[in-house]
Parts: sequence; structure tokens; C-alpha cells
Amino acid sequence: MSLKRREFIKASAAAAAAASIGVTLMPGMEKNLFADSMTWHKSVCRYCGVGCGMMIGKKGNKVVAVKGDNENTINNGHLCVKAFYLHKVVYAKTRLLHPMIKKNGKFVKASWDEALGLVATKFNELRKQYGPDALAFYGSGQAETEETYMANKLWKGCIGTNNVEGNPRLCMASAVGGYLTSFGKDEPAGTYEDIEKSNLFLLVGSNTAEAHPIVFERLVRHKSKNPDVKILIIDPRKTPTDQIADLHLFVKPGWDLAVIHAMARILIKEGYADEDFIKKHVNFRDNKKALTYEEYKQFLETFTPEYAAKISGVSPDEIVKAARMFGQAKTAMSMWTMGLNQRTRGVWANNLVTNLHLITGKIGVPGSDSFSLTGQPNACGGVREGGGLCHLLPGHRVVKKPAHREAVAKVWGVPASNIQPKPGKHTVAMFDALNKGEIKGIYIMCTNPAQSLPNASKYWKGLKEQFVVVAESFFPTATTEYADVVLPAAFWSEKVGVYGCTERRSQYMEKVVDPQGEARWDAFILRDLGIKMGFKKEFKKYKTGEDIWTEYIGLTKGTDMDLSGAPYSRLKKVRGLTWPVPSEDHPGTYKRYTNGDPLFDALPAEKKQGRRMYFYGKPDGKAVVWARPDKGPEEPTDAEYPLALSTGRVLEHWHTLTMTGTVPELNRAVPKAYVEINPDDAQKMGIDNKDQVVVETRRGKLKIEARVIDRPEPGTIFIPWHWKEWMANILTIDAVDPGSKEPEYKVCAARIRKA
Amino acid sequence: MKFKLSIIAGLLLLFIFSLNLMADKQEKPAKHADVDWSVSCMECHQEVTPDAVKEWKSSKHGLMNFGCYMCHGDGQEEFYPQPGTERCIGCHSDYQIEPTQTTVKNCFDCHKGHTLKFHQKKD
Repeated sequence: MSLKRREFIKASAAAAAAASIGVTLMPGMEKNLFADSMTWHKSVCRYCGVGCGMMIGKKGNKVVAVKGDNENTINNGHLCVKAFYLHKVVYAKTRLLHPMIKKNGKFVKASWDEALGLVATKFNELRKQYGPDALAFYGSGQAETEETYMANKLWKGCIGTNNVEGNPRLCMASAVGGYLTSFGKDEPAGTYEDIEKSNLFLLVGSNTAEAHPIVFERLVRHKSKNPDVKILIIDPRKTPTDQIADLHLFVKPGWDLAVIHAMARILIKEGYADEDFIKKHVNFRDNKKALTYEEYKQFLETFTPEYAAKISGVSPDEIVKAARMFGQAKTAMSMWTMGLNQRTRGVWANNLVTNLHLITGKIGVPGSDSFSLTGQPNACGGVREGGGLCHLLPGHRVVKKPAHREAVAKVWGVPASNIQPKPGKHTVAMFDALNKGEIKGIYIMCTNPAQSLPNASKYWKGLKEQFVVVAESFFPTATTEYADVVLPAAFWSEKVGVYGCTERRSQYMEKVVDPQGEARWDAFILRDLGIKMGFKKEFKKYKTGEDIWTEYIGLTKGTDMDLSGAPYSRLKKVRGLTWPVPSEDHPGTYKRYTNGDPLFDALPAEKKQGRRMYFYGKPDGKAVVWARPDKGPEEPTDAEYPLALSTGRVLEHWHTLTMTGTVPELNRAVPKAYVEINPDDAQKMGIDNKDQVVVETRRGKLKIEARVIDRPEPGTIFIPWHWKEWMANILTIDAVDPGSKEPEYKVCAARIRKA
Repeated sequence: MKFKLSIIAGLLLLFIFSLNLMADKQEKPAKHADVDWSVSCMECHQEVTPDAVKEWKSSKHGLMNFGCYMCHGDGQEEFYPQPGTERCIGCHSDYQIEPTQTTVKNCFDCHKGHTLKFHQKKD
């Protein structure tokens, strides 16, 4: 360390930002602390999926400060509270600095050669003895695209198993399923640019203020400048997002499908439907067959406001009011996140929100879109686009299509027969297979499943019994406890790479400093592991991040997510590009399926005739309005477990605290977990604020402090899930959506008593 | 001999102690009262300084949930009971004021209290 601690604290305390840009701000203030030697480097925030541009301040070989990137169109220089302290995480005491091998139950420092040699030998033995499907990879929506790309190639293309998953299965898979079934292609049609053009925001299952603060800030600014802008919330819980709400429908957790159908019924009945758009752009379906528009209307007849009110607990008048707000708004943008996705009917819930846009024509025009908010910084870029799930291949391809396997195998330099046509095991099935011993070796990268899986304690058995490799920047975590080998991974700012955020924007991140200790870039750890496993020809060619990215974007050429116009050389100069971006002189695409989308523009005139949108993922270019049943949660409340438990985030923390838990200010803001309980329920049960209580589900019990507060409705409770010490996921249910395989973290039945 | 060594050791300790005092005098970081650190700033200050919390909640900082720690530090490692301008500019680095045209010395000369509204104007 070339900087003294005091100097570092002083800099990181905030002064560096203005000082270093060399402006004299005010007389008497700290002046140009590092102006002479500090440099700023373009990057992207490491936390959620919003994709905020961030500048990293460097002095010597040390990250000393961060500030929002004024040139970035997403955040315009603003950062949320987590991001503000991100530079401190780089130097956390919990950084993993050396490879370690567990010997006799204790981790012992090892050389890279020894650690990777052991992993390669063990993986090869298991592969030889039990076949390729005895191995698995579990990655992350926080890994860079280049990192996931290398894992995908090693496992699917070389080892020969599709047991490749990532934690976006736990947060985004239902949104993928929703977009694919409604539009035929994954990811939103619009971008953040729609926000300032929209008249109404429908926030469903999204605590935007805490989970996506910079999006919330844009909503606040837009609404404060345009008081007629309406915010409509459908969510079981009152949150800080309610500060800007015009109407909030407090649905019972998991029972909102009927409400959205009821809104659709009102929209059509009261003349808010865009009949011309429907005629030209929309097909109707139920789970078994195509429907006519009339049959869809007939289906909706069940969903009177009164019926939906009975199912959901919301008043009929409020449902009518909500529908009219949506219908009367000239433009509307819906946003959702885990409250819709983490459900056993997450795909259906996604479909129904998109239905509202399709029947009113509020799609494909500025200010209107059905816009899924992403939870992790590269869930879209690395995993959805990069093909880091068990059924996918890079470039929105799927393993089941021979042409897709051949195209990818050719670029990877492997026989197409190496890639299996059958999808591998999805996340919950993968950890179940570890429990059963069907998977005997797993490589876990940049994620903490021992804490983040639903019904987590059920899956500790497999982690304990099988050969587990964890590549991580931090140690210990709940997962490293079960590791046989831990590999120190370079952290944000210590590596080059690309993140692709919620709005289809891919952004380049510079390597600013050398990694701490002996940490290495995950992409090169995987490359070197591949070489040690015997795939020298396949991996030795990758010398730089650019080598990997260039190969990857070549695979996207001609696809709906064409990034071939976004090489490193261009991405270094701009604040990201929104695909499709098919050539280096293409500016990127604001709206898909319509004018300006290169795929739409290239369509033959007869296909576009009389239509303003063409959903080219569907055979006839028409999107689908779905008549889905209004099924409730997998585990509804009952006499034994009368409360609906939901989990979620707080503003100041992120996921399993490996990062935010190292920042004193963020720990001070929210030092511990708690269970929120409505005052009416608390009174009935004799529970006072700050009492220790036991929350119990059919899977486990947790002793925790009660917070008696009017945020949850009576009959529901809420626990922020970040802490290992108060691990909410020992309570959650591991039932999954049959389509997306995403678990139902957001709803299960619970009971509570004083400890 | 033992006596001499004791005197030397004693003088050495005194010297180190006095250096320490000098260092303290030079830097003297503010210290937050020792409290139950398992309780968040907000939770405690809602009880002990409710007016300040109420003001903060009505502010843009409150709306965006920029908590106490953003300006005042975490209270343990760093504590700024009266934060200065350098606490503001990490976020507000794009705000530039020409010093020759103003006599103010600090952001808080104009942005008062916990509302931080300009000259306390209503909005």
C-alpha cells in the first residue's frame, strides 16, 4: 500500500471526487487532494442490473474513490448509497488472496499450479468414471460476459455436459419465459429512454426505491417535473416506493393474476383497447390452443372486479380505478422484478402484465413498454445473452437446435457432437442432483448458493459430500465452508470485461488496478483449468479479454441480439451500446420490433405493410396475449401456517453481504435482519417491537427480531434476506415455476411466535 | 542497574505517551457516544432526535433514503457531527461555484438543517 490509511480514508470519504477533477469549488475547502496524480477510469457499477456508469478514481495502484459518470445516459452522474462505497469493498479484509485447498477439514494455502492441478485431475477422474454429466458449473449474473463465455465453452463444448447454470435462474428466468412466450424473443422492446416519455408507471412486485434506486430517482425527477405522471403499484407490501405512488393495490402475496386479468377485462369493456393494433399485431392463446379475440373476452368474463377482489384482497373499486388509470394514460411503462419472477407462476404473471400493453397498443411507441428490471449487473449480458443456462448457447441460441450447436461448435473449435442436444439440469435440480450424488463435482463462480438457494439447508448435504470448487473474491462465505478448493478471483476494477444491463446495453469496464494478492481473472482461471484438463488447443488462444469478446460478438452476428458492431475498440469510447448493433457505424437500437430496429427495417415490405410492429420471433410476427389461469402460490396459508412470508432487499445491502457487509457505513444503516409484522397481527399475537420471535415454515425456523410496522399487510410478514446469521432462505420454498424453473422465493406459508 | 533501566523505560513510556497526546491534539477525531451499535442510526435517532429525522424525511435525501451515514459517517470508524463541504461533493461533484462571486464558505451556509433546502425555501 503506497497510501497511508488516513490519507485513504480522507480520500474515500468523498473529497476526492471534486478535488481530482481539478476545479476550485469553494474557498476554504479541501483542495485538489490528488489532483496532481489521480486518474479517473470508466466503469460500471458492480451491484444491481440498472447498469449505472461509474468513474473509478485511482492513485498509484490503488482505487481510492468512485463517482457517478456524468456522461452515462443511465444515471447521469448519480449513484445510489451502495455504489457510493464500492471502492471500499476492493480492500475489504475478507478478500480471498490465495488459492486454498481443504486438508483434514482446514483450508491450507496452495499455489495456483497445485490448486488448479488438483481440480483438473479430480474433474477428469470424475468425468472418466461417471461421464460428463457428473460435473456441473454454477455461475453468476455478476460474472462478466467473457467469464461466463469461457465456462460455457469448457463445460458444454469440451467436457460435454449442459449442466451449466447461473444464479439468474433464481431471479430472471421467469422474465425470459415471459418475453419468449409473449414476444418470441427475450429481453425488453424498449429502454430507459422511455421513462421520461411515459405518462404512467405500473410497478408490479418491485420495490424500485430500494432494489433499483437510480431508476426510482428517474421516476421521482420525471414525476416532480410532470405532476400528471401517475405511479400505480401492485405489491403486497408498503415500501419506500410508495412515497411517489398515486394508487397502490395491496394484493395478497401470490394472488395477483386475477387482478391483472380483471384490469384487462375493464380495459376492453370500457373501450381502452386499441382494436386496430390488436387486429394487426396480436394472437390469443390459452395453455392448450389458439383462441379468437372473442374467446379471450369470454375467458376474461370470469374476472370481474368482485371476483378478483375476493381472490386478491384488493377492493373492486381500486381494481377499476387502476385499470382506468392504465387505459387513460397516453403512454404506459410497466416495470417489475422479483415479485413477479420468483413465483411458481412467474412466466404467467409476466405474460399478463405484457397483455395489458398488447391490448391497449401501449408498446412499440416512445414512453410505452413492458420493461423487466434486472437484479444483477450482467444477468442479461452474460447469462441470458451469453447462454449461461442449461438449455442455452451464446447469442440467444438453444442446445436443442442442431444448427445452433453447429454454429457455436465451429467457433469454439470443437466437434458439434460434443454439445449435447438435451438441456442439462436447472439450478434447483442441479443441487438436488448433488444431494443424490448424481453430480459429483461442481465449480461455483462468483455466487453463494449455500445461502442464496431456496430451502437452502436442504442443499448443504450435497455441497458437503461432493467435490466443490469455489472461485470467489471473498472468504469466507456460506458456500466456501463446503469447498474443497477455493480460488481467489479478481474483483471489479481489477479486471477488464463487459456488463450488459436491463436495457440491452453492453458497457465496457476497464482494468484499473492489479488484483489483490494472488487473485486472477475468472476468465483466465477457467482458461488455465481447461488447458490443465487437456483442452490446450481450445483454450490457449485466449491471451486477452478482447480475444474472448471478439469471438463472442462474432457469434451474435445476424442474431436478434447482434453485437458485432460493438468491439472493445468502440465500447471503450462510448457509454455502452444497446443491441442490436449490427455494424460499427450503427448507433444501437432504442426500440425493437419497429422502425429503427435493423431487424424490422430489413423485413420485406409485405410483412410490414400496415403494421407498426413485427414480432419477428413469432412465425406470423404477432405477439401473444395469454389467457392463463389465475393460479395462486404453491404453498398457500392455512390454519397451521397462517401468515404469508415474503423476502426481499433493503437499499443499503445486496444479496449475501459479501460486498456491502464489508462497508461500515452500510452496516451501520442496517446492522441486522428483522421480520416485519403488521401492528394488528402483532397485537393479536402479543408481540412488541424489538421482541425476539421465531419464524417457522415447513422447512425451518429462524430466531429474529420483530419489527412491528405497517409495511406488510395483516396476514403477511417480510424478512430481508441478506444475513448469514439470520438466513431467511432456510425458510423459503424450493418449488419452481414449471416453465422457467425459477423458485417461489416470494411466497410461502409461515407462523410466528415469541421466542 | 535495574533502577536505571526502570527510569529509562518510564521516560520512554512518558515520551511515547506525550507523542500520542500530541497526535491526538493534532487530529482529534470526533467521537460518537458509545451506544448499542447493533441498532441503526435511524432507529436510535428517531427516539433521541425525532425532529432531525422528521426534517430529513421531508428532504430529497430522505426521499432517496440517503441515510445519516452519508454525511455523518458510520459513527465508529468515522464520525462527522458537523459535516463539511467535503462530505457533499462526492455526490454533488458537478456543482461548481465561482468563489469570487460569493462570500459563502460552506454548502451548509445556504443549505440549512436536515431539509437542506436552499435558504430554507419551501421548494
